[in-house]
Amino acid sequence: MSQAAAQYIFLVIKAVLMPVLIIMMVAFIIFFERKFAGFFQGRVGPTYLGPGGSFQSFGDIFKLLSKEDVVPERADKPTFRLAPYIAFIPAFLVMAVLPFGPVGGEPNLFGHRFDYVIANFDAGLVLFLAMGALAVYGVVLAGWSSNNNYSLLGGLRAGAQMISYELALGFSVVGVMVMTGSLNLVTIVDGQAGNFWDWYFIPQIVGALIFFIATMAELNRTPFDLAEAEQELVAGHLTEYSGMRWGMFYFAEYVNLVVISGLVATLYFGGWRAPFEVLDFIPGPLWLFIKISILIFVYMWVRWTIFRYRYNQLMSIGWKVLLPLSIINLVITAIIVSVVD
Amino acid sequence: MGLTDAIKKGVFVDILRGMSVTGSYFVAEKVTVEYPKEKLETYPRFRGAHALLTDPETGDTKCVACMLCATICPSRCISIVGEQTPEGRSRPARFDLDLARCIFCGLCEEVCPEAAIVMTRRYELATFDKNDFFLEKEALLANQEYAHKELYSRPSPRGGGAEAGAEPDAPPRVSPADEER
Repeated sequence: MSQAAAQYIFLVIKAVLMPVLIIMMVAFIIFFERKFAGFFQGRVGPTYLGPGGSFQSFGDIFKLLSKEDVVPERADKPTFRLAPYIAFIPAFLVMAVLPFGPVGGEPNLFGHRFDYVIANFDAGLVLFLAMGALAVYGVVLAGWSSNNNYSLLGGLRAGAQMISYELALGFSVVGVMVMTGSLNLVTIVDGQAGNFWDWYFIPQIVGALIFFIATMAELNRTPFDLAEAEQELVAGHLTEYSGMRWGMFYFAEYVNLVVISGLVATLYFGGWRAPFEVLDFIPGPLWLFIKISILIFVYMWVRWTIFRYRYNQLMSIGWKVLLPLSIINLVITAIIVSVVD
Repeated sequence: MGLTDAIKKGVFVDILRGMSVTGSYFVAEKVTVEYPKEKLETYPRFRGAHALLTDPETGDTKCVACMLCATICPSRCISIVGEQTPEGRSRPARFDLDLARCIFCGLCEEVCPEAAIVMTRRYELATFDKNDFFLEKEALLANQEYAHKELYSRPSPRGGGAEAGAEPDAPPRVSPADEER
């Protein structure tokens, strides 16, 4: 078998396996989110379905599939139907550039080289930023097309929220780009080779924190879940959605959570690399999985601790704190990198 | 905003403090009672569905059909028809209690001179049939099994101590419910 044919077969396997694995992971993350939400509040969470309630998500999926799919009569129907997919697809596309193991080098599988990344291309980070910006359209269009005041307000908030965090998100990543000299996530992980003190979260601690906070806004999770503020807007952009259409939004949110946790791990915590070189015998995907799990737990912890920021507070955090800090961080990183070189 | 404030915000002091609080709840013992599987013990003064107690010696109901409970009942849910036994003692021929009207105030229990009508620890009263709320004498007598255990040590209103109450072998002890009276 020629090298090219083998690569195509591997590509298909990876492109099928990775989404499937992440979807399975999401089903359990939703369960753990509910379980941990209970734990953080002194409750026990779901307990009935399966051992310790762990099949709860599957029960939810069957419930959502069996529910009536209501499309409001006065809604903009094509857009209303399209919006969940717009929210759903960008989350999956970012998976393609996420390296989950060593790339390149010696043949390692049946005499062929198996790259642990779906698409090893140079503008990986740009793809992430572009898809992150695109995912907001799902929320905005859902809010707009529902023909409901609460939905519209939710969509508007999502749009306004996006312009206040997206800049800081972009600038904080530039620090990593400057240190690596590349936008390719594979190269960025290679730049963090070594022990855990070689990871970028130490030189880029400010950038890492800004990125983490901005991703919380990108994920629409609780300190910044203004778009679906239950107490104020019923369910924001989700108000008119029911059944599996609503489930798609919910699902996209958690796929996004996995992918963005993977990205935080890749950019600042060494990606698939072990924290100590002696632990390199443990395969890369496992390390990435561990890092993603820890980051998701932190996201959950923050979500169930801090309450929602007010609309204008998010604006001032984004524009007055995160953006200047990320620019200062970028300038200092650039100076240090150019002086050292 | 002072410098200390800025530093505090910069290192997320308040947020970390909040997270330590939720983190302590995360590992703490959970307060949930998973109701159908596990049930809480009711307090001795809990006012559930009513019961008519019987005299353990004669097996006869203790009620003497004095109508005090029917009179004091604020929601008029008790109706009694009295009769006389051959020995000349009066007792209820009918004793009907409509739980759907009852407000569970416990006045009937308090006013009863014979300690015959009591409120039990039975609180799972939901039903599909409204007629189930209409308790007749037999149902009220059957409810005895749910009566608070503390009642058995209560001295009879007519004197004679615990043995006149019920259950001769019940341990004589003072319950919180007694001290109130």
